[in-house]
Amino acid sequence: MPFISKIQRQTDYNRFPPSTPIVIDNGASYFRIGWAGETEPRVIFRNIVQRPRHKSTGETVTIVGDHDPALLKYFDCTRSGPRSAFDSNVVFQFSTLHLIGWVQMDHGYIDKFTALIRSASACVEQIDHPILITECVCNPVYSRSKMAELLFETYGVRSVAFGVDAVFSYKYNQLHGICEKDGLAICPGFTTTHVIPFVDGEPVYKGCCRTNIGGYHITDYLKQLLSLKYPHHMARFTWEKVEDLKMEHCYIAPDYALEAQLFQKGGKEAEDKTRCWQLPWVPLPTEEPPSEEEIARKAAIRERQGQRLREMAEAKRSSRINELENQLHGLEFLLQQLGQVQEEDIPSFLSETGYASKQEIELTLTKVTQSLRKAKGEPKPEQAEHEEKADSCTSDKYPLINVPDNMLTPDQLKEKKRQIFLKTTTEGRQRAKQKRVEEELERERKTQQDEERRLENPQLYLEQMHTKYKELYEKIELRKRLKTNGGHTNGSNSGGVGRGERLNAAQRERMRLLTTAAFDRGKGEDTFGAKDEDWQLYKLMGKDNDDDDDGADEDEAELARVSSRLQEIDPTFVPKLEPTVSQPTITEVPHVRPLTKEDFQIVLGVERFRCPEILFHPNLVGIDQVGLDEMTGVSIRRLPSKDKALENRLTSSVFMTGGCSLFPGINERLEAGIQMLRPCGSPIKVARALDPVLDAWRGASLYAANSRFHQQTFSRADYYEKGEDWLRRYQVRYTL
Amino acid sequence: MEAEVIKAELVLPTHMSFKRIQMYEKYPKGQSKVRWKQLKQILQAENCQSYSPDEPNYVNIESPPSMQPCKRICDITGFEAPYHDPRTNLRYANADVFKLVRSLPNEYVQRYLALRKAAVVLR
Repeated sequence: MPFISKIQRQTDYNRFPPSTPIVIDNGASYFRIGWAGETEPRVIFRNIVQRPRHKSTGETVTIVGDHDPALLKYFDCTRSGPRSAFDSNVVFQFSTLHLIGWVQMDHGYIDKFTALIRSASACVEQIDHPILITECVCNPVYSRSKMAELLFETYGVRSVAFGVDAVFSYKYNQLHGICEKDGLAICPGFTTTHVIPFVDGEPVYKGCCRTNIGGYHITDYLKQLLSLKYPHHMARFTWEKVEDLKMEHCYIAPDYALEAQLFQKGGKEAEDKTRCWQLPWVPLPTEEPPSEEEIARKAAIRERQGQRLREMAEAKRSSRINELENQLHGLEFLLQQLGQVQEEDIPSFLSETGYASKQEIELTLTKVTQSLRKAKGEPKPEQAEHEEKADSCTSDKYPLINVPDNMLTPDQLKEKKRQIFLKTTTEGRQRAKQKRVEEELERERKTQQDEERRLENPQLYLEQMHTKYKELYEKIELRKRLKTNGGHTNGSNSGGVGRGERLNAAQRERMRLLTTAAFDRGKGEDTFGAKDEDWQLYKLMGKDNDDDDDGADEDEAELARVSSRLQEIDPTFVPKLEPTVSQPTITEVPHVRPLTKEDFQIVLGVERFRCPEILFHPNLVGIDQVGLDEMTGVSIRRLPSKDKALENRLTSSVFMTGGCSLFPGINERLEAGIQMLRPCGSPIKVARALDPVLDAWRGASLYAANSRFHQQTFSRADYYEKGEDWLRRYQVRYTL
Repeated sequence: MEAEVIKAELVLPTHMSFKRIQMYEKYPKGQSKVRWKQLKQILQAENCQSYSPDEPNYVNIESPPSMQPCKRICDITGFEAPYHDPRTNLRYANADVFKLVRSLPNEYVQRYLALRKAAVVLR
């Protein structure tokens, strides 16, 4: 469960005499405050400040710590999220309206604390208590002086002492026999990790080292990794949730490489180590496959509809035939009558019918007969015969052609032109027909040859056919692919050519032409189109795919022929499905998988030990500093005295405190790491604090409760008298 | 304000009797923003170079770069990564991961790189 600050109003503030110090552990993640001498801090909350706007009143308010998220619905948090005043463990913001302050001593912490501490009746006018507040190792003097200023000026505190949290934790545990008076304190905290060597129970800051990595980085890493792995569930990975996941599931691998290999291979052990977080998921109502009856019913409906359509089409057709027949009869009747009418009476007779001449009537007649034939679905050849018949009387039909122009009237000239046109078209038609017949013959001859070859050696023939089929098929396939691919890039137009999408040759050529047209003209003004040759470019471009289209048609015809032939002679042959038919069905209907339970599972496998690994290898997140184990070596090297015995004493009392030392397996890993750095046979003992999180506050509380604590504090007068340089050197003695 | 909010004492009161200087006095509304120094500025102002090198300060207690060979792990799976993709700069463990790497959109590649501060940063 996410941590929610449990803040209760303290009713016993007045019970404590002014001499009782207030102890504050001002950590980067949590703020803990309480009375010196007590074992538990009174108030703990997350060290963040929010300044949202109250929705109904519109005023900007200050909220310190974390709260029941349900209550935040009354506030508009879009403008400012929760902020921390810490940057690498140094308090850098001291109260502000906008930048949101350093979780505001000024208006956060102490306010909160004291406001809660004071009893409802007694109003606190003055904070008389000395204050012990923690800071990081070697806190910059700016940060220190600002803090002192704040405490003195705003709160009117009498005296203040600064101490290091990890040291208090060490001292507290030393008291409980966890570590010796000489030792190394390793404190992987929220934003930084410190190693502090202790000699004779006092920290030696000279031997300190700090790596800027901590729990914050681990959580952030895990958060990023998970949201990259499950982009659909990104909203689920809130900071609080990921922090919980980290605390619950992460561990330090004894050997990262081995552990990773275990997961890479898979298997039972890896499965056991994999954790799975099931997000809330409601299965979709599954659609039952339609029953037999349903299918039958649907088929029947379809059949009925088809039948109706067919009937309608039939009715339409018969009505049209009827109509045409009537027209035909009418025309025939007209012609008959025309035969009976005298030659000179024809125009007057025809004027009633709307036809201009006898020929026109005949033309309409042939047209109607043709359409009638078409409507009845009769084959065409008769028409051809008809034409042939017509051919025989060419000279009768085109009487004017052979008459010289000068002998004709203008009307007749027009008529002659028409006749010439008619004649040429008929002749052309005839020629085409001739060609068709020849082709037919040729084909027949070919088939005959084929047949002969087949009869000669059926096996060989079959094989040849198959290979031919395959070749053709592949050729066509390739061409189609090129075409569609090209079409793709054309379709997406100017969207750039994506990965793997290639232009076909024609398009490449076009691109080349375009680019040369665009860029080969130097830097002068655009003169394209000034010369006539420029326009030739479009001709070149226009060619594109047309060239090979004829070839494609031929190939396709050949393929059809071969495949039909194969079907004839080889019963096992199955022609490949037309790609244009099969492919769209695949691409157009992408198989949409219904979401399953598995889609809502967050699997934590390698992440469980990958994220905390950054403590030992900050390199993994791009921080080029030594990790936990090497830090001990650096720390020992930095110590001024090169005493082998002292070094052995230090390594035999390695002490861990801070939130990140709670990862399972960190002790063993650290021990192994230090072993590698130290000479063979060095004594190494790693111990974890009794309570890595709260011991710093407890140590500080114990320290402040000591009767000699007041010797270590400084007052407002001291602060102004002694100046900055003194404050920089200010150091409490931890052994009282 | 809603009763719930008041009961939870969520919001800090603006006036507190024990404070010498109230928040609204120190930072009156409408006045120019108070700019807090960032850590970098603090350290610069600290002028650590002027102190004697024997004295520990915030800057010189920083730990040095590691002496151990840099561990290379697959950016995506976390396994040991013997390979490196020159196109995306991602490290990968095997062929399957490589396929994934190549299919990743650039945004994701950059986010993976940003995890180890190797992303292209445009300033």
